[in-house]
Amino acid sequence: MVTITVMNMVTTIIITRMSIEMIPTPHLVTLMQWLSPAYPVGGFSYSHGLEWAVGAGDVTDAAGFQEWLADILEYGTGRNDAILLAAAYRAPDAAALRDVDAVARALAPSAERLLETTAQGAAFVRTTADIWAIDLPALCYPVAVGRAAALIGVGLEQVLPLYLHGFASNLTGAAMRLVPLGQTEGQRVLAAMTPLCDLLAQEALAGDGLDDLGGCAILADIAAMKHETQYTRLFRS
Amino acid sequence: MGTLLLQSKHRTDNATSVLGDLRHSGCLKALFPRGPADRLSAVLVNTSGGITGGDDLRVEARIGAGSRLSLTTQAAERIYRASGTAPGRVSTRVTVEAGGRLDWLPQETILFDDARLDRRLRVDLADDAQCLLVETLVFGRTAMGEHVGKLDLSDRISVWRDGQPLFIDRTRLGGDASALLRRRALGQGAVAVASVLLATQAGSSAAPAFLERLRPQLPAQAGASLIRPGLLFLRMTARDSFELRRSLIPVLALLNDGPLPRTWMI
Repeated sequence: MVTITVMNMVTTIIITRMSIEMIPTPHLVTLMQWLSPAYPVGGFSYSHGLEWAVGAGDVTDAAGFQEWLADILEYGTGRNDAILLAAAYRAPDAAALRDVDAVARALAPSAERLLETTAQGAAFVRTTADIWAIDLPALCYPVAVGRAAALIGVGLEQVLPLYLHGFASNLTGAAMRLVPLGQTEGQRVLAAMTPLCDLLAQEALAGDGLDDLGGCAILADIAAMKHETQYTRLFRS
Repeated sequence: MGTLLLQSKHRTDNATSVLGDLRHSGCLKALFPRGPADRLSAVLVNTSGGITGGDDLRVEARIGAGSRLSLTTQAAERIYRASGTAPGRVSTRVTVEAGGRLDWLPQETILFDDARLDRRLRVDLADDAQCLLVETLVFGRTAMGEHVGKLDLSDRISVWRDGQPLFIDRTRLGGDASALLRRRALGQGAVAVASVLLATQAGSSAAPAFLERLRPQLPAQAGASLIRPGLLFLRMTARDSFELRRSLIPVLALLNDGPLPRTWMI
């Protein structure tokens, strides 16, 4: 018995080492492709309410944007998206995945925030299912990314920080145009978000799933609502 | 500890909503003041005078087919300092049968420094049932300028239709709430927050019409959106609970299509 156990452990170790050697490079690159600004999900057209916040004078410079962005990551959509992504990644079957997606839709506090997650999700699914020949139903954006990552076998610990960084990068791009911020200023804010993205990724990885959802980015929600009636708009949210 | 089970039903002979069943135990009671004829008006009373860690309050209501139930509270609910780590638990579950309507219009909830609250409101709507919900949170005894330096709050609202989640709102606020509510995308110094949801049938023109009427009257720190057909959501913040109430009352009066419960007007 003891010998068999030891042999199993050795086999496990060998398999694990083989997986580490075989998997990462191509999958990490695929993940970077999915979450890069060039991937056609239309991320550049959503500001998550930032356009209204800038117009109302709530965000006027790099320091103000950095606080706004950190709030949305830690107390708003960033953290919740990470939890939804992880739940979708771990969903054991199609029914469980549908349940995660239904929660993601129900969480949207405004029409434009619902559009932001459903339209980006739909675009992600169209392109990804086609190129990688995987079966992806129409899903909200973080749910679609989580499911696709699980299907191609990339690690959840890899996709979570990259997704959060992509989310932050997208809003930074919007801030560069709206506030406006210089290239260096924008990149400095984005770099400052890396530890927070890592922390939120770790929490989503170690957390209790959908039970952890929640937040209090109240003024970000209100900004997204008010954006619907903003007179001049460059962004869809 | 307290539980309350309540049922409304439609009386066909005079088209009114009447009490079907009522059971209660512990510190929860219900009063039935005279209200508009089209609905049963109930006032929930927590005779313990507030909630603290370890408390467990449960309200369950069933709104029978075609009936309408308006629920409010007698007074603002105070969430006192919790002595241990256990939160006070408040659970409200309402099932609305076909053609029924719930108006959930409690007074504000005041969270004291060091309070712990785990609150859940779940509404299950039948196909063509409707609901109007409001939840108001006040952080600290604002007249005293109380700083809520320690808070453990989980406040969940969910509305389901035909077993599918239609709307989920989860307020999660832990730690130094007053400091957090000063942050730029959180509250910018707000001490009172209200969330209002109106769920009507998807094909109804009522929700978009309400949105058009609401928007011009909202204060600067409030927004409203028709999230999807028939689903209207509003958030509002204010620097004190009086200001919040003043902005909120006309909104609720409009969405409630009838006078507000008298406890709101005092």
